[in-house]
Amino acid sequence: MSGNTKESAKSRRDFLKNVGGVAALAAGAAALPEAAVSRITKKKVQYGMLIDTRRCIGCHACSVACKSEFDVPLGFYRSWVEYTEKGSYPHVDRSFLPRLCNHCSEPPCVDVCPTGATWKRDDDGLVVIDPDICIGCKYCIQACPYGARFLNPTTGAADKCDFCMHRITQGIEPSCVNTCIGRARIFGDINDPNSEISRRLGKNPTTVLRREMGTHPNVYYIEAEQADESETRYRDGYIRVTTHRKEKKRV
Amino acid sequence: MNGHELTWGIPVILYLFLAGVGAGALTASASMFLRGGPREHYFSIARYGAFMAAPLVIIGTGMLVFELGSFQTGHWFKFLNLFKVINLSPMSIGTWLLTWFILISIPYAYTFLPKNAAPGDTFDRMRRLLAWVCIPLGIAVAVYTGVLLGAMPSRPFWNSPILAMLFLLSALSTGVAVLLLINTVMNRNNPDPEIKQDSERANYLLAESDTLLIGLEILVIFLFIMYAHLSVGSQREAIRVIEWGGELSLMFWFWVVFIGLLIPVAIELFHTIPKIVSDKEVVLHPVMSLVIPVFVLFGGYMLRYVIVVAGQITGPVGL
Repeated sequence: MSGNTKESAKSRRDFLKNVGGVAALAAGAAALPEAAVSRITKKKVQYGMLIDTRRCIGCHACSVACKSEFDVPLGFYRSWVEYTEKGSYPHVDRSFLPRLCNHCSEPPCVDVCPTGATWKRDDDGLVVIDPDICIGCKYCIQACPYGARFLNPTTGAADKCDFCMHRITQGIEPSCVNTCIGRARIFGDINDPNSEISRRLGKNPTTVLRREMGTHPNVYYIEAEQADESETRYRDGYIRVTTHRKEKKRV
Repeated sequence: MNGHELTWGIPVILYLFLAGVGAGALTASASMFLRGGPREHYFSIARYGAFMAAPLVIIGTGMLVFELGSFQTGHWFKFLNLFKVINLSPMSIGTWLLTWFILISIPYAYTFLPKNAAPGDTFDRMRRLLAWVCIPLGIAVAVYTGVLLGAMPSRPFWNSPILAMLFLLSALSTGVAVLLLINTVMNRNNPDPEIKQDSERANYLLAESDTLLIGLEILVIFLFIMYAHLSVGSQREAIRVIEWGGELSLMFWFWVVFIGLLIPVAIELFHTIPKIVSDKEVVLHPVMSLVIPVFVLFGGYMLRYVIVVAGQITGPVGL
């Protein structure tokens, strides 16, 4: 009898151990693929943007269209245009650099979010924020190497460009693309080899911003002026960047 | 400052400081309690530490909630979303660590609450058990504050593996300092010569440990600066902010290093060297046992201040 009890106690312990093991395994299996595999495997759709700065005249129509599309609070921008002036008279140049969220393939903002309020969508590669979950800790604002995020003073949540998710899911172009008078912005699926953006990406030398950060941005530029004020430390010459934002310097 | 916006301000700086002091005080308290000492005279020190740790960390964590955008827009309890997930974000891990810290440090303090609390009383077993948990928990909270800042390549000034080590050492040092301060203040007019002697011995031990901690902290600061200085690119540019001529260099070298580290360690060495070299009985002068902790605590705050600001006014170079 006593032997029996011991036996059953033992088997119960074994059973619990097994259950624990299986549960841990299941948790591991559930946690790993989502985080690791989805980023490595190619997605079906990856929306991206190609900005041909040769066609940009620095009119800020994109910034304005974006602000009215989302009713972005005063002093903040989801999309903005930077001016870069450089050179010494008479050899001078002024260029325009439209900026927005890069919808990175390795988004550092997503890695640091403690509530899961921001994530990269598997189906179209957008990096999005759910303002109902976001607590406004501003960790993602710190982590973004492009300064694309800000704290929306109305919602108290982090905010940024979402490629006009509400429009593109209805088959309409993002409002900055729609409004651009120079047709400087091409929007589309960069994983579709026949899309206009893919054809142009294939035919033109393009760059991304801060490639060395390893974020693999999905916003590409043609002939972007990437001179920065920090370079004047090492060489003579005039470089001035106007951000047109509250942040007078690039982040 | 410098055209940059400070995303994280004074509340975060205060949190990093208070959580560091609290975590350090808890670790020091638990280890002194477990060590016991002759006639268990470290018990009262452990008691002060236990009472300090939880309130400091709770106040610090409260500061963090004030800094939240959701709180500032009237969503008072939205921060509870933090408890719906566990992910690999340092802030998520930190949230759970802080929660456990608070949940463990309160009962730990409770075991010291009875007026006649003494080694071997009814709470002894529980106190001992909790103390063993408190040591790793205190270290974890102190390390995490550094990981929180260090985890972002976009903030090159912070993006150093040794930053967490620096915060850990500073936390332990300021934690020890707070024990030294309280012990000195509480026992300054104690009529019982035996207790007075015990208290002085404990003060000496605290100062001695602090000497080691500050020594290591100076070494870590040296490594922190050296590796960034010898690097190229963003880290090299970022460290300029505390190097000669940098915007924060005076604040860093005078308030953090000179006032916060060099002066207290010099006073401590003045007392500890005779003891180590010729085994003389040394008593920490009562004034010095107030000056040391005040300087160390002030330096600890300034360290957090300089680091938090420096990380935000510097960034990746180029575009």
